[in-house]
Amino acid sequence: MTLRRGPLVLLSPAFGVFAVCFVLPAAYFFVVSFWQVRSYRLVKETTAENYLRVFTDYSGPLLDTLVLAFIVATTVTGFAFFYVYLCRFKAGRFAPLLLFAAMLTLFGGYLTKIYMWRTILGDSGILNASLITAGLIEEPISVFLFNPVAVVITLGHYLVPFAILPLYGVMHAIRDDPLEAARDLGASRWHVFRHIVLPQCRTGIVAAFTLTFLFTSGDFATARLVGGPDASLFGVFVQGQFTQRLNQPMGAAMAFTMLACCLVVVSAVALGVRRAVAYR
Amino acid sequence: MRRLDAIALVWWVAGTAAVFFMLAPLVALFVFSFSAGSVLTLPVTGWSVRWYRELAATPEFWIALKNSLVVCVAVGFASTTVGTMAAMAMARLPARRAGALISVFSLPVMLPPLVLALSMLTFFVGTGLGLGLPTVILGHLVYTLPFVVLIVYARMAAFDPAIIDSARDLGASPWRTFATVVLPVARPTIIGAALVAMALSLDDFVIALFTIGGGNTLPTFMWGMLRKGVNPGINVVGVVLVTLILVASLLALRVTRYRG
Amino acid sequence: MSLQASTDARSAVAPGPAPGAGRAEPLVRLSGVTRRFGAHVAVHPVDLAVHRHDFVAILGPSGCGKTSLLRMIGGFLEPSGGTIEIAGRDVTRLPPDRRPTNMVFQGYGLFPHMTVRQNVAYGLRIARVSAAERDRRVEEALALVHMESFADRLAPQLSGGQAQRVALARTLVMRPEVLLLDEPLAALDLKLRKTMQEELRGIHRSIGGTFVFVTHDQEEAMALANRILVMQDGRVVQEGGPTEIYGRPATRFVATFVGDANLFDGRRAGGRVDLDIGPAFADAGRDGPVTAVVRPQAITLETGPAAAAGAAGRGGDRIALDGRLVDIVPLGPSVKFLVAVGDREIAVTRTVTGPVEPLEIGSRVVLSWRPADQVVIAGGPAP
Repeated sequence: MTLRRGPLVLLSPAFGVFAVCFVLPAAYFFVVSFWQVRSYRLVKETTAENYLRVFTDYSGPLLDTLVLAFIVATTVTGFAFFYVYLCRFKAGRFAPLLLFAAMLTLFGGYLTKIYMWRTILGDSGILNASLITAGLIEEPISVFLFNPVAVVITLGHYLVPFAILPLYGVMHAIRDDPLEAARDLGASRWHVFRHIVLPQCRTGIVAAFTLTFLFTSGDFATARLVGGPDASLFGVFVQGQFTQRLNQPMGAAMAFTMLACCLVVVSAVALGVRRAVAYR
Repeated sequence: MRRLDAIALVWWVAGTAAVFFMLAPLVALFVFSFSAGSVLTLPVTGWSVRWYRELAATPEFWIALKNSLVVCVAVGFASTTVGTMAAMAMARLPARRAGALISVFSLPVMLPPLVLALSMLTFFVGTGLGLGLPTVILGHLVYTLPFVVLIVYARMAAFDPAIIDSARDLGASPWRTFATVVLPVARPTIIGAALVAMALSLDDFVIALFTIGGGNTLPTFMWGMLRKGVNPGINVVGVVLVTLILVASLLALRVTRYRG
Repeated sequence: MSLQASTDARSAVAPGPAPGAGRAEPLVRLSGVTRRFGAHVAVHPVDLAVHRHDFVAILGPSGCGKTSLLRMIGGFLEPSGGTIEIAGRDVTRLPPDRRPTNMVFQGYGLFPHMTVRQNVAYGLRIARVSAAERDRRVEEALALVHMESFADRLAPQLSGGQAQRVALARTLVMRPEVLLLDEPLAALDLKLRKTMQEELRGIHRSIGGTFVFVTHDQEEAMALANRILVMQDGRVVQEGGPTEIYGRPATRFVATFVGDANLFDGRRAGGRVDLDIGPAFADAGRDGPVTAVVRPQAITLETGPAAAAGAAGRGGDRIALDGRLVDIVPLGPSVKFLVAVGDREIAVTRTVTGPVEPLEIGSRVVLSWRPADQVVIAGGPAP
C-alpha cells in the first residue's frame, strides 16, 4: 500500500517547487511576451508584434551571439574533451590530480573569474606587464581586452569544468577490454580512437556543447565587463529591456526567440555529432 | 621509442598548459589580494592586508555576506530535504521513468540563467509577490534541486535492495528501516549534496541579481564594485567568495568520498 | 511478537526429530499462490505444504519463478492470488517485518555501516530483546557459524564466505519459524560451497529448524534437501524426495535438469515400446509417444568379441545398441564415453576402480541396459 502511495507523497514537494519556481514563471513569462508596453504602462493585449520586432531590430546581435556562442561552445567542448582524454588515457597516476584541478575551478566564482581575466588582459594587466618586461613591446597594448576574443577566453575558462563533467561521465564508463580487443584485432591507435572511443563519447559531447552553448547565448555579465562594443551579446540587450527600457514583454519575446534559436542550433549540432562520430 | 617519448612530452606540456590556464587566474586572485598598490600589475611592488582592512570597514560588505550566508544555509537545507525525498521516491521507480523525471527537473539548469532569472522576476513582480531574499531562496531552490536529486538518486539507485529487504525481514518498520539503515548509509552522500547546493547558491550571481529586489548578496555586491571600475578591494571579495565556495565543495568531495 | 511465537519448538540447540516426522498440520501452507507481472505469469498457482523440520529445496533454472515464490513466502512480493499460511495464521497480506520468517538474501544484504556483531543484533534490538539476552544470543549465533573472532569487523571488510556466515547468523539469531534462503551459496567458489553445504546441513540438524531454499544447482538441492520442488516456467513440475526426483523423473525436463540423462524418443502401442533408434521392449501403459530416460551410469559399454557380435547378439533381457566410440572424457572418479549411434551421441559413464583398459577412439562398441534401469515417461519431445 505504502509502496504505491509513497513515491507521490515524497515527490510532491519537489513538484511544488518546480511548479512555483519554474513552470508558472515560465508560462507567465511566455504570456507576457505577447503583451505590450505603451508609455511605460503594461497593455495586456495579445499580439505577435514583439516577436516581429526581435527580427527587425535585434537580428544582428542575435546572429552575432549565436555565432559567438557556437565558437565558445566548440572551443570549450574541444578543450574539455582533450582534458578528459588526457585524464582517462594519458595521465596515469596524475589523472586524479588533473581532475581535482578542474573541479577546483568548478565553483570558483563566476564574477571573480571575469574580474581576474579583466586584470590579466587589461592595459596595466599581467599580460602586458610580462610582455613589457620581456622586451617584446614598449607600450601596453589594448588588443587583449574589450573584444570577442576576450569573451571567448573568459567564458571558456568559466565553462570548461562544466563541460568536463559530462565528458568525464562518458569517458570514465569506457572499458579497457574492448580497446585492447580492437588493438588485438589489428586496429591502429587512430582507428581505436575514431571508431571505438569517439562513438562512446557522443552523449557527453552533445551534453557539453549544449550546456556551454546555452550558457553563452544567455550571458550578459562577461560581455559587459570584458566584451567591449564589438561584443554586445544578445543577453545585454535582453537585460536592458528590464533594467533600462522597462519593456518586459519585449525582453520576454527576445528571450524566447533566443531560446528557440538555441534549440535549433543545439538540435542541429546533436544531429551533426551523431553523424560525425557514428561507427561506419 | 624515440617517437613515443616525443609524443609523451607533447602530452605532458599540453596538460601542464591546460592546468595552468585553469588555475592561474585563481592563484593570481589570491596573490593580488595582498598587493599593496592600487594598480594590479607585475611585478607586485609591496605586500599588505590593506584591502582586507578596507573591506572589513565597509558595512555593505558585511550585509552582503550575511545575506549570502542566510540564502546559502536556507537553500542548502530546503534543497537537500526536498531533493532527497524526491530521490528516495525515484529510486523506487523503474530506471527509465526516474531518468525522465531527472531530465524534467534539470530543465531550469539547462536554460541560460538569465532566462530563468527574468521569468521569475516577471512572475514574482507581475503576481504582486514582490522580491527579496525569499525569492532569491526560491530561485536557488529550483536551480540547485536537480543537482541534489541527481547526486542522491545516483547513490540510492546503487543501494543494494537486499539491505533494505534485510532490515524489513528482521522486523523493522519502513520508517525504522529508513532511520537505522538507509539514512546512515546514505548520509555522506546527502551531506555532500547539501554542500554542492550551498556552493552553487553562493556562486550564483544572475538569479540573485534579478530576484533580490533591493540589497545585495556577495556576488551582486561584487558586481556593483566591478561596474565602478578596477578596485583592488574586488580581489578581496573574490577571495572571500572563492574561499567559501571552495571550502563547501572540498568538504563535499571529502564527505562523499568517505566510505566509497 | 513473532519471537514469542517461535521460541517454543527450536529455542534449544538440541537435535530435532527426523525431518518430516509427525505429518500433522503443515507449518507453511501455500494454496493456489500465483504471481503475475503485467501479462507475464511468473508463478502459476502453486500448492505446497512445508512441515516442521523440513529442508525444502525449490530447484529450477533462472527465470523459472523460484525466487518469486520464495519472496512471496517472505513477504517481499504480494501474491496475485492464493493464500499463504504459516503456523496456522494467514500471512498473505502481512509485510515481512510481521512474519515469523527470516531470509538469507542472495547478496547477503549486510548493513555496511555496522559491525558483524551489530548486524547480528539488529533484529533483536528491533524486537526489544533485553541487552543481556541479546548479547548471549548473538554470541551463540556467531559461534554456530564460527564467526566469533570477526565480531568487531565492519561488514564490508568480510570475504564472501564470511559475509555468508554472518547473513546466516543474523537470521538464525531470530529463531524464525521458517528460514528462507535465496541462492545462499551461489556467489561462493566450488570448494567453499561444498564446505558451506555441510555446515548448513549440520546447523539444520542441530537446531532442527525448518528451512526453505532456492537454488539452480541440482547437486546442491540433492545434497541439502529432504524434499525438492522442481520448477519450470513458473510451474512446479515435480515434487518429492531427492532419490525419487532423480530415480523417477516425471518429465523430460526434470530428467535432464536433475542429473545427466540420455533421452530416447519412442512410441507405445499395445504394451510395447518401439524406440526410434531401434530396440523395442515391453512396457504397459497408454498408447502414444513416450520417452525412455537412461542415466549414463546405467549403460554398459562392451568392446571386442561382444562388439563384433553386435547388438543383435545380446540376450533378450537387455536393450542394446551398436555404436562407435567418439570421445573419452576422464572425470577423475569416473570416465565418460561418448558413443555415436546413428546421428545421436550417447553418454556412458563408468566408475574408475582400477587401471582402465585402453580403448581406441573409433572402435565399435555395444551399449546395453536393463529395462528396469530406465524410466519411461509419457510424451515425446516438445513440438
